[in-house]
Amino acid sequence: MAEEGGWNTIESDAGVFTYLIEELGVKGVQFEELLSLDAESIQELSPVYGVIFLFKYIGEKPSSTPRDGKFDSEAPENMFFAAQTIQNACGTQALLSVLLNKDHEGVELGPTLTLFKDFTQGFPTELRGEALSNDPTIREVHNSFARASPFSLDPSLRPPVDPNDSDLYHFIAYIPHNNTLYELDGLQPHPISHGPLVPPASSTQTSDQNWYSQQFAKQVVEVIQRRIGRYGESEIRFNLLACCRDLRLRAQEMGDMVLLERERTKRRNWAWENALRRHNFVGLIGEVAKGVAAEKVKNGTWDEWLKGAKERAEERRKKGRGGDEMDLDE
Amino acid sequence: MATAPLITFKAGKCDYTPGSKKVEPVPGPGYIYLYSEDDLMHFCWRPRSALSTDPELDLLMVPGDGSFIPYLGPDGDTNSDWIKSPTSGRIYVLKFSSSSQRHFFWLQSKSQEPSGNPSAFSQRDQKLGQIVDMLLSGQEIDVEEELQDLNRQGDGQDRDGDDTMEDVHGTNGDTQGPGSGGAGAGATGGDIRDEGEESREGGADGARAPSISAPSNDPSEVVRNFLSSIPGSNLSGAGGSQSRQNQPIVTLPDLFPSNITISMLESASPAYIDRLCSLLPPTILLLAQEADDPSDTDSSPAAAEAAIQALSVDQKKDILRRVLRSPQLIQSMASLTVALRDGGLPTVSEALQLRVDNGGYIRGGSMPLGGAQAIEAFLEGLKKTLEEEQKGGGGDGP
Repeated sequence: MAEEGGWNTIESDAGVFTYLIEELGVKGVQFEELLSLDAESIQELSPVYGVIFLFKYIGEKPSSTPRDGKFDSEAPENMFFAAQTIQNACGTQALLSVLLNKDHEGVELGPTLTLFKDFTQGFPTELRGEALSNDPTIREVHNSFARASPFSLDPSLRPPVDPNDSDLYHFIAYIPHNNTLYELDGLQPHPISHGPLVPPASSTQTSDQNWYSQQFAKQVVEVIQRRIGRYGESEIRFNLLACCRDLRLRAQEMGDMVLLERERTKRRNWAWENALRRHNFVGLIGEVAKGVAAEKVKNGTWDEWLKGAKERAEERRKKGRGGDEMDLDE
Repeated sequence: MATAPLITFKAGKCDYTPGSKKVEPVPGPGYIYLYSEDDLMHFCWRPRSALSTDPELDLLMVPGDGSFIPYLGPDGDTNSDWIKSPTSGRIYVLKFSSSSQRHFFWLQSKSQEPSGNPSAFSQRDQKLGQIVDMLLSGQEIDVEEELQDLNRQGDGQDRDGDDTMEDVHGTNGDTQGPGSGGAGAGATGGDIRDEGEESREGGADGARAPSISAPSNDPSEVVRNFLSSIPGSNLSGAGGSQSRQNQPIVTLPDLFPSNITISMLESASPAYIDRLCSLLPPTILLLAQEADDPSDTDSSPAAAEAAIQALSVDQKKDILRRVLRSPQLIQSMASLTVALRDGGLPTVSEALQLRVDNGGYIRGGSMPLGGAQAIEAFLEGLKKTLEEEQKGGGGDGP
């Protein structure tokens, strides 16, 4: 009896996504946040398997022609593309759109995802989407990274998803496939092709794979810039995550100890954050609450303490944030 | 979504500290008013100078939980024609079956008792209280009609000048009996509700003066005048509650911001620190020890226990400080606040073994507390649990 078929929202954070796929059994792949939209940043992470673009969902209706690019209705036959059926699952869906199209290039999917991919091989896109939203393993792992809720035992107490929630974001995956740039959006009826990746003019020093990788980086940046341009002057919050090979492997292969150390530290921080994210804090909050309460009683500052809390609440209200306690002061 | 108040009348507030058994009327003109939003009743008080959108008190009332009755004191005579408070003014008390909270108010319209006894409740005074009480019980009533009833019964003159509480400080001035300081004993122990009901019936039977129609003193007209005189309000409904969405319910992050929790940590005992650490995800403790890839670590409770033993108190405090500042914990607290607000108090109090009144339910009912009351009940539960732990030979509190 949970909303949204039992899928909770997850943060679009490189650490969350990386650990999510590792929990699903994927090896050798990570996500990395792109801080600027330019080809070099993407190329630095080569080999890049895809880019996930996260933005505030404006509710563009599916139409017979996409705003940019062309529908390729035949593509799903040799590509994994699923229609999105559950809003909250769209992050994981975007991940899978990248990963399940890459396994022939040395990405180790692991048993869970390999099984899922084989199982849905011959399915039409809607059915693939259904299969995803009903897959208990994938859903369970996804939900374990969701926003902290102390009430996994009693879903009726979860705050309902508000369709007018300004935090409703949408994930779209961009991948190179068959040397073509594809946009995979579960809310569209088909994959969208943005044209072939420009082939090398003649045989060059760099290998073909390298070349196409660089082309992908350039072209995907242009496509995304056009999309951002469509939103006009309105401020749009977006996030870009690149899906690439585990950078620690590259560091080890190149003997780059600085990179290795940096990546290891990053992983430790991700592990820390994810451990906190997945933890049920009710017990700790209770014990901390008792500790503070005991101190206030002992010092006779109980009323003062409550007063201070009310003042903080009032401050929040003045700043106009009283409505949703879930908002963090970012 | 804003709604006009259902009823408004002049009343002052009182300061009441539970356990002190003293009720102190606060001078200054104010209004009690009630409005309904989303099928929930709000009981509000504000100084007359404030905007109706800015009440000092805005209580979200669960239907049936609150009652608003005249305070008659332990020696209240419920059979006289004129009921009165044991003070120099007419006191109403707002009580809850779900908690021991009390709010006291004093009526500020001029007393109508023939001899001008300032502590006597007139028919109109009682009617106002009854209307509020009925609204709080969840009954759908037509306020205007109720007040017109009063007019038909003939309430007589309603001089609406303000009453000043002469005896502003010592409401225990009149009653000197043992255990009867001010509103004390009666308020917390006595069965005032019964008193109130009886007197209501008593009042209804007696004191029915012959009808005098005086349109300019029509009580419902009087109430209507209140409504239109409230600055910033208008009867089409803009007044009252657009601040509803920004109602500052105190949240757990408000109560336990990192500066308070961290400073509490500073003087905490090692046993308490260890207890907190045992409530952390084991990975966190192991990360503090390991230098290598954390995916290799064993995050079992046994490994966590070993880590707690191995780490120094300072290291553990460091870890806890970082956790207390983390957005994930704050988010958890916010989420827990929502859960409490929306009826999760019974579940939470059981999980934390907190001694919450009635297990977090409304007394006599199966509905859990909600809103700000749930937060308050949570805090009261904390206090109570601490007291019991201390009595029982002390838990190892901080």
